[in-house]
Amino acid sequence: MKALRFVPDRCTGCMRCEMSCSYAQTGTFNPSKSVIKVAPLEQHTSYAPYTCVQCAEGWCMTACPVDAITISPAGAKVVVEDQCVGCKLCTIACPYGTMYLNPETHKAIKCNLCHGDPACAAACPTAAIEWVETDNGDWLGDFAAERASYNLTGLVAG
Amino acid sequence: MAGKKHLIVGAGTAGYNAARTLRQLGSTDEITLVSAETPYSRMVLPYFLERGISEGHTQTLSGNQLEKLGVTTHFGRRAVSLDAKKQTLKLDNDDELAYDDLLIATGSSAVKLPLPGCDGERVYSFWTLADAKGLTAHIAPDAHVVMVGAGFIAFTILNGIMQRAGKVTIVEVASRILPRMIDDTGAGLVSSWLEQRGVTLRTGVKLKQIGDKGGKKVLTFEDGSSVEADVVVMATGIKTNLEWLKGSGVEINQGIVVDDHMRSNVPNIYAAGDVAEGKNRITGQREVHAIEPTAMEHGRVVGANMAGKDVAYPGSLMMNIVGVAGLDTASFGSWDASGAEVIEAVRPDRSAYRKYLFQGDRLIGAIYVGTDDVTWAGNELGMLKGLVQSGQPLGPWKDYLKRAPFDIKKPYLASHTVSALMPNTVLGQASPSPRV
Repeated sequence: MKALRFVPDRCTGCMRCEMSCSYAQTGTFNPSKSVIKVAPLEQHTSYAPYTCVQCAEGWCMTACPVDAITISPAGAKVVVEDQCVGCKLCTIACPYGTMYLNPETHKAIKCNLCHGDPACAAACPTAAIEWVETDNGDWLGDFAAERASYNLTGLVAG
Repeated sequence: MAGKKHLIVGAGTAGYNAARTLRQLGSTDEITLVSAETPYSRMVLPYFLERGISEGHTQTLSGNQLEKLGVTTHFGRRAVSLDAKKQTLKLDNDDELAYDDLLIATGSSAVKLPLPGCDGERVYSFWTLADAKGLTAHIAPDAHVVMVGAGFIAFTILNGIMQRAGKVTIVEVASRILPRMIDDTGAGLVSSWLEQRGVTLRTGVKLKQIGDKGGKKVLTFEDGSSVEADVVVMATGIKTNLEWLKGSGVEINQGIVVDDHMRSNVPNIYAAGDVAEGKNRITGQREVHAIEPTAMEHGRVVGANMAGKDVAYPGSLMMNIVGVAGLDTASFGSWDASGAEVIEAVRPDRSAYRKYLFQGDRLIGAIYVGTDDVTWAGNELGMLKGLVQSGQPLGPWKDYLKRAPFDIKKPYLASHTVSALMPNTVLGQASPSPRV
C-alpha cells in the first residue's frame, strides 16, 4: 500500500506542502488550515514536514463518540465532516498531535491522504515528501535528534 | 455447539463499544443489550445545547446500526438485580435474562445537592438527553443563568449557556474553578478569561438553599449572601449507578473492582466505563476514571475478551479538554501528582500556561491552557498525550523544556516518540472502521 514517506534532509522549508495541503483540504491557501506542518528544527537550516502516520490503532477514530472517523480506501483515517460535532476528543486522544480543529467550521480536520493523491507530495519541489509503496514510519525521529541537538547547547531557546 | 450468550447492561459508550468489538472480531454469539435510555452520546449533548446539531445527531445506535450489529435490545428497561450463581439478570418489568457472561456498564447519574429547593422548577441537571432538552427549552435570551458547580461538566456546557442566556454566574464550593481538572495557576487564567467575557464567578461559596421570589429563583449561600436567577443549572457531580448490585456478590469499592481483563471478582462478570474501578495507566493504582475515552477502551477490551481473545489492558489515561469562548484547557495523566518534578511556564498576557510533571525524564502529567488560534496552529495537546502515554524518556530534552517550555515538538520528535507509539494498539491489532 502507498504511504507518505518523508525525507527531511531534502526539506528546504519552502512551505509549498502546507499551502497545497490547505488548498486541497479547505479550498484556501492558508497554512493555519494545513494538516501537514513543517517544523523548523535548527534555526533556519533544518526543516521537517510532519503529518498523521495513519497509525494502526487509529486513536482518533476509536475515540470519536459519534463514529465520525472512518478508514478510506486509500488507507487513511478520515473525518466525515457532517457527522463530526467538534467535541475535540480526537485531538487529545491522538498521541501524535496530528488531529486539528478547522478554525472556521469547528470540526476536526486531519490528513486524509487526499483520497489517494496527496497534494503535499505533488507540490514538494525537492522530493522531501514522496507518495510511494512503503510502510508508515517515524521519518523524523533520527533527523530531529541529530539536527535539533543544537538546541540542547543552551545557546538558543526554540 | 450453540454460541454464547453475552449480556450487556448499559448502552452508553462502554456498552456500545463492547457489542461492536464482539462483532468486529467475528463473533456470531448472541448479544443482548439492556438500556434504561434510548442510546445517545453524552459527549455531544453540549453541541445540542449550542444549537450545532439536531437531536437525531446525538444518537449513537440507530435502528439500522443495531440491526447490522445483530443485537437483541431491551431499551427503556432497568436492571434491578443480579443472581450471579444462577447467571440471570432481572429487569424492572420482572423479565429474567440468562447469560454466559455479563458486562455491567450502567454508567453514572447526575447528583443534585440534597438541599432545600434543589429539585424545584427551573433547576436543571445537564446529564441526560432529557435534561438537555428541558434546559434548552427554558433559557430565554435575557435570562440570568446561575450554574452551581464549576467542574468539567459545567464547563462543557458553558459555551451553550453563554450563547443562549443574557447573563451567566458560576458558583463553586471549591476555592477554584475546574478543581479536578487543572491547578490554581491554570484556573486563574481561565477565570480571568471568563470574567473578561462577562461571566460572574464566585468560588469558595457553599449553597444553602434555593427559594422562589416573584418568579425568580433565589440562591442563598452559607455566608448569608444570595443571588437571583431565572434558571439554575446544577453541575454538582455524578455518582455511579451501582445500587442495584447490592447483595449480588460483585465486589464494589469506589466502582466495581476489575482485573486487567476488566473482570470483576466473579469471573464471567465484567465491568466497564464509569462503574469500573480499573487500572490507572500511569500510577498503576485502581480508580474510577469517569471519562469518555476510558469507557471506550474498557468496552473494547471487554468485547475482545468476551469474543474469546486474551486482551490485557494496560490501564486508562486521565485526560480532559474543554474549550470556553476561545480558550482551550486540557490536562493529562498525573497532572496533580504530588512529589513530581515540575517544569512550568505561564504567560498571563496571552492566557498561555504549560505545566509538565516528570518522574525522572518521563512525562507523567501535563496541563495546557491556550487560546484556540494557538492550539490549532500546531497541536501540542496530542503530543503531550503521546509523551504521557508512551512514557518515552526525554533525556536532555527535559532540560530544554525549562528554557523553551512552549516548544514541545522538538523534544517530542527528537525523543523518537513516534517510533515508540506506532506499534501501540489497545487490542493488539489494527482497528477497523467504526461502523460494522
